[in-house]
Amino acid sequence: MLEMKKLSKIYRTDTIETHALSEFDLEVKRGEFLAIMGPSGCGKTTFLNVTGLLDTFESGTYLLDGKDVSNLNDAEMSRIRNDKIGFIFQSFNLIPDLNVFDNVDVPLRYGRRSAQERKKAIEQVLETVGLRSRIKHYPSQLSGGQQQRVAIARALVNSPRLILADEPTGNLDSQMAGEIMDLLGQINQQGTTVIMVTHDPDLSARAARTVHLRDGRIVGLQPETRAPLHEQVNAPSNSEATC
Amino acid sequence: MLSYLLRMAVKSLKRNPILSALIVCGIGLGIAVSTTFITTYHLMSSNPIPHKSDSLYYVEMDNWDPARGWNDDKPGAVPNQITYRDMIEIMKSNIPTHQGGSFKGSLYVYPPAQVARPFKVVARMCFSDFFALFDPPFQYGSIWPRSADKGPEQVIVLDYETNQKLFGGQDSVGKTVRVEDRDFVVAGVLKPWQPQPKYYDPHNGAFEKAEQIYLPFEFLRPWELHSAGNTSGWKNFGENFKEYLASEAVWIQMWVQLDSQKQKEAYRDFLNAYVNGQKKLGRMLRPTNNKLLPVMEWLKEEQVVPEEATSLMLISLLFLVVCALNLIGILLGKFLARAPEIGVRRALGASKRAIFLQHIFECEVVGILGGALGVLLSLLGLRAINTLFEINFRFHLDVKMVAAAAGLALVAGLIAGLYPAWRICSIQPAVYLKEQ
Repeated sequence: MLEMKKLSKIYRTDTIETHALSEFDLEVKRGEFLAIMGPSGCGKTTFLNVTGLLDTFESGTYLLDGKDVSNLNDAEMSRIRNDKIGFIFQSFNLIPDLNVFDNVDVPLRYGRRSAQERKKAIEQVLETVGLRSRIKHYPSQLSGGQQQRVAIARALVNSPRLILADEPTGNLDSQMAGEIMDLLGQINQQGTTVIMVTHDPDLSARAARTVHLRDGRIVGLQPETRAPLHEQVNAPSNSEATC
Repeated sequence: MLSYLLRMAVKSLKRNPILSALIVCGIGLGIAVSTTFITTYHLMSSNPIPHKSDSLYYVEMDNWDPARGWNDDKPGAVPNQITYRDMIEIMKSNIPTHQGGSFKGSLYVYPPAQVARPFKVVARMCFSDFFALFDPPFQYGSIWPRSADKGPEQVIVLDYETNQKLFGGQDSVGKTVRVEDRDFVVAGVLKPWQPQPKYYDPHNGAFEKAEQIYLPFEFLRPWELHSAGNTSGWKNFGENFKEYLASEAVWIQMWVQLDSQKQKEAYRDFLNAYVNGQKKLGRMLRPTNNKLLPVMEWLKEEQVVPEEATSLMLISLLFLVVCALNLIGILLGKFLARAPEIGVRRALGASKRAIFLQHIFECEVVGILGGALGVLLSLLGLRAINTLFEINFRFHLDVKMVAAAAGLALVAGLIAGLYPAWRICSIQPAVYLKEQ
């Protein structure tokens, strides 16, 4: 699904250079559920931004679906984000003055689907996340868990191949967090690649593989990757790349 | 997509209605001021006879003092009226389709005692061709025949108001009107007619009222009628009326209708030949400089649109630009406050171009709303001008000016929105996604 080789990302100010990602190597297979862990400032979010084509990188190569993305222009990157990538954020990032329908509609508006197709896709995806009945509600009228479900519906509505989740349960209580993780598990089981940044080892335990970052590098050896969730018959205990 | 952009723009405006109202008022004020002054300029400089303005020519010839030109400040300028003797001579040409000199006179009308007391009128002393040249619309009757010019016959054309006053608005053709010491038979009555500007004779105010009665030119002789308009001369006008008519005094407005280039060239040759002939007689000793000015050029030469109107229009446009520039800061703040939302939209697949268009569209919606407000305010502004300044001219908005206001509103929206829209589409989405 994606392959990064010796990828480096540096943030510069007048006086200091920060290597957010350094000589970063990672390969993620299609349908994999990958958890990214590490202390604050280790480069997790930078990794997600670069992976999601929201940020550029200085050197190295990044192949997404076999395509080198290093020389794409803004329109091409936007098209890929729209077609292939779904984002889920810790604070949901719903647009407050749009109702559930319109929030889920946002990515579809940047595609080329007819109004009828959009409506059908939105209703279908809201059915999947169990919020069909809340279609006219505004974010402020929903609980945190429901808002995150809407955000997941928004991420899924274009049927992306890759879901990037940045601490998707960080603002939820444990029960809600469990529900959201179940939902992500279901999405992954249907063949969608999921990369999730988390601080919570219990959540990372749900992923097929966990990568630990420190100072912009993957630390320790990556153990053998388990089969993607949708290919597992009985989920074995989690394996991790250790620091 | 347009309906979506419109919905997003309306939602954005509703988000902070007071700020939105301020922005709309800012544009509205700029549009109101600029539309008001552009309208005054537009109406003052509009073509008063568009269907034939390119075939009507005002005739000028230089009969002025050989030692000193007509206007020291304008080299090449010639007198802006002609003498009686020159008018009589050049009207012998059969080249123009229509032609005629005319001037404004002041006369008394004596209605029957039971109708009204005698009153003073402004008369246009003219030839039959005056009506063919300038096409005033007739309510009753028609122009007098050319033959009546020669007698002259005692015929008269009344304007609408005078006919109302004398005959209660009835068809008065064939009835008589006493002017000075003679009875004139009504040949025709005009519909309300007020060319704006009064292009055939703007010398005493381009926006003054048209004349109340029209009489054959040659009645100036029995009445020894002098012009009630401008008369200029560089020699003594003479001891008596006969000498006055033969003098170098200029007081007649001479117009010709030349429908083709060939006709125009032939008439120009005719004028040159006439002036050369006069030179041999010891007149018109300045360099030959005959002018045939089409209507719009004539109005430009006469500076019918006051310089103040032009200046006010330019200042009002600058004011609109300043209003738009002032809004840049407000719009920038408004848009940047929305950066987290834009970060989300970018993450979900919006290109920079899509974000730019969304915000420019919003600015144009603001511009249109401001434009609508501006048009309403400019109606009040024009009403105020009509009330404050006592000129015989009603300033009003026409379709062209409303369209111009809409165009200006869009331009103002664009000026105000370009930089803020560019800034918001250039934000680094990753920065704002984490902040939200």
